[in-house]
Amino acid sequence: MKPGEAKLPNLFQPGRLGRFETRNRIKYGACCVSNYNTRDGFITERELARMRVIARTGCGIITNQGAYPDPLGEGKAYFRQVAIFDDKFLPQFERIAADIKAQGAVAIQQILHAGRYGGIDLGYCIQPSDVPQTLPHFRPPKVMTKEEIRDCIRQHAEAAKRAVRAGFDGTEITSFMGYLLANFNSRFTNQRTDEYGGSIANRGRFMRELIGAIKQATPDNPLVVRLNGAELMDKWGGNSEDECFELMQQAVDSGVDMISVTVGWQEAPESSIGRDIAPGYWNYLSERAKKMFPNTLITFGNRLPDPRMANDCIRDGVFDFWEVCRPLLADPELVHKAAEDRLDEVRRCIGSLNCLSRLFRDLPYTCTMNPALGHEVEPEYEVRPAAFKKKVMVIGAGPAGMECAITAAKRGHEVTVFERSAQIGGNLRAFAVNDLARPDDLLSVISHYEVVARKLGIEMRLNTEVHAKFMRSVLHQYDVCVIAAGARVDLTSVAHLPGADRMLDALDVAHGRAPVGKRVAVIGAGKIGLTVAESLRKRQGAEVTVIEQDKRIAGDVKPSFKWRHAAWVEELGIACLTSSRPVKVTAEGVTVRDAKGAERLVPADSVILAAGIRPSHELFAEFEWMVDELHGVGDAVIARGLEQAIQDGFRLGVRL
Amino acid sequence: MSALPDIAAWRDAAARNAGLFEALDPGARIGLVARADSARMLLWEVGAAGVDARVAAFEGYASCGADMLLSADAGSMARIADAVGGDLFTALRMDIRSGGVVCYMLRRRCDLEARGFDELLDALGFAFMGACR
Repeated sequence: MKPGEAKLPNLFQPGRLGRFETRNRIKYGACCVSNYNTRDGFITERELARMRVIARTGCGIITNQGAYPDPLGEGKAYFRQVAIFDDKFLPQFERIAADIKAQGAVAIQQILHAGRYGGIDLGYCIQPSDVPQTLPHFRPPKVMTKEEIRDCIRQHAEAAKRAVRAGFDGTEITSFMGYLLANFNSRFTNQRTDEYGGSIANRGRFMRELIGAIKQATPDNPLVVRLNGAELMDKWGGNSEDECFELMQQAVDSGVDMISVTVGWQEAPESSIGRDIAPGYWNYLSERAKKMFPNTLITFGNRLPDPRMANDCIRDGVFDFWEVCRPLLADPELVHKAAEDRLDEVRRCIGSLNCLSRLFRDLPYTCTMNPALGHEVEPEYEVRPAAFKKKVMVIGAGPAGMECAITAAKRGHEVTVFERSAQIGGNLRAFAVNDLARPDDLLSVISHYEVVARKLGIEMRLNTEVHAKFMRSVLHQYDVCVIAAGARVDLTSVAHLPGADRMLDALDVAHGRAPVGKRVAVIGAGKIGLTVAESLRKRQGAEVTVIEQDKRIAGDVKPSFKWRHAAWVEELGIACLTSSRPVKVTAEGVTVRDAKGAERLVPADSVILAAGIRPSHELFAEFEWMVDELHGVGDAVIARGLEQAIQDGFRLGVRL
Repeated sequence: MSALPDIAAWRDAAARNAGLFEALDPGARIGLVARADSARMLLWEVGAAGVDARVAAFEGYASCGADMLLSADAGSMARIADAVGGDLFTALRMDIRSGGVVCYMLRRRCDLEARGFDELLDALGFAFMGACR
């Protein structure tokens, strides 16, 4: 037994799903879809390469991403979702099933009919009833006839048979996060008056018939059903939690082998899986399911990213299997690190939902924390031993610099990181400590870098500013210099304004280097300005106004988090002036001019500039003739954000 | 309280927020119904002379003729009634976010934007709303 397995005995104990033994209690969840495949539903080499990595994660059960079961594509939710409505798709499914089983895991294929969120290539979606969309990017509804319901159930059963023929051990159907199964179950979307609607028994009929048909088609293979413990749609007339559990009871009575408890619909007016939700928040739903259905396997993992918490949950009877997907996208070695008692090396999923933000822009998903995700098929993204060992100096210990340093060190280069401040993390640290969502998530990125850099023997020279004189003192000692000095607020961009010298640098404020008063104006309502504004309002009780020259705030914020800032701004009572620019700053405050030319004074004792963020790239010109290779990464090249900084750092590190 | 707001006050609210409506095509309609009693619908309707308000029968989503439909629970309807003479769109936006108002899209986003709904969608918070939070 490995040392970590002894510490997490409940998680690493064997289990059973139907007639299959599992080596541990970890189920890789289907994790939405990757969007790596062809427009007509065929699995690509890119996908196969990703799944080879997933197959090696060490999970006891691995669920392959959801495939739509119908030839029209009414069930298709995502641009490049895989299909399983025909045998022509099977060769690639066979390869995935074989890869999973070769690594000793139980292979499950999810069948995903998106219902209300489907029909992406069509002009409509299908639903039990004519309930219009509440998010405008989904398709208008078309009501299913009883014949179409029968066809749909038959297509699911045929898809299940096909999956088993391809070598999968079992199948999974899903109502997460508001797909067809959920649409029938929910009072919100099922307003039928026939035997498929009305009472909860009638609303559950589609699910029961679906389970029955799949069990009949694949009697020897386990069936997992993903069901909401909470829809978060009850305010709109959706199911209450009690009704959700009544529906689970119907699934249990229909002979389902495992219930995966999930939370929320895509359109729900509440958060469910973002980083503003605390880890463990939803565990009570799983606990309730386990108590109600002691003889049915329960799997769960929404906002439960830590194996230690999962181990305790299994011990305490909260669930039988830890269902985990996004944390394994962030770090495919998570389970192995847990088994080897190396949890301090784990790259945590920080819940930024970069993956989903990209899916809903019809892009392949990528991960903020794992730059190799989606590039597994490309040898250029492999961390391989360097052909020629170099001495590398990295200037700046923010995410871009640390990622580059660690990747280069893994390849065998001798790396030294120079950081002018007393600690690593760069502007991410300032962002994290002001973050109203989950500072711990963002700070975990920094602690990960600290631990791994130490274990790799990277020399960290803190409190060391690198400038031309310093470079001259180390001339010819390094083969490579990487400038990762980050970005800064460019106060010269407003130098022409009267009183500009009264302005404070937002990054100085965020780092705690510049005290502010009780009445604050923040110029620039991007992620830096908003984070500072929200923090000053919430933590210091300051009266805050944000001033943005664009029509809308949060322009550089990830799509999945824009709403969060918008909500905080309103909930905290932060005044917001859009389409407005500063004209002058005085002791009374800042005068702004709107799009119509009208001027007004925003009273403030502190005016903070959070606009005009510029890369800190002055060192490039100075060092050009002083070192063999000179590179830049992250915000020092172009100021964007954490994901791009990490991607940049990694991409440079693997090719130095 | 589920009574619809006063027609004249509803018309005045549109006039006070004319910037949100000025790009809308003639014929554009935004409906408001009480979830508890949805037989009647209060409409903003864009005509050649500006935005009018009127009450119409509500006989289902497909036949109601609106481009967007706001369906409010009793608490939200009371807040809307309170805000109709003031900052109505902030109240609507906050109640959509909290779940008290369901905003049904009776056309696709591309169609709504083509009909000039961009500013109105923004004012109701949809510039920031997206799937999977």
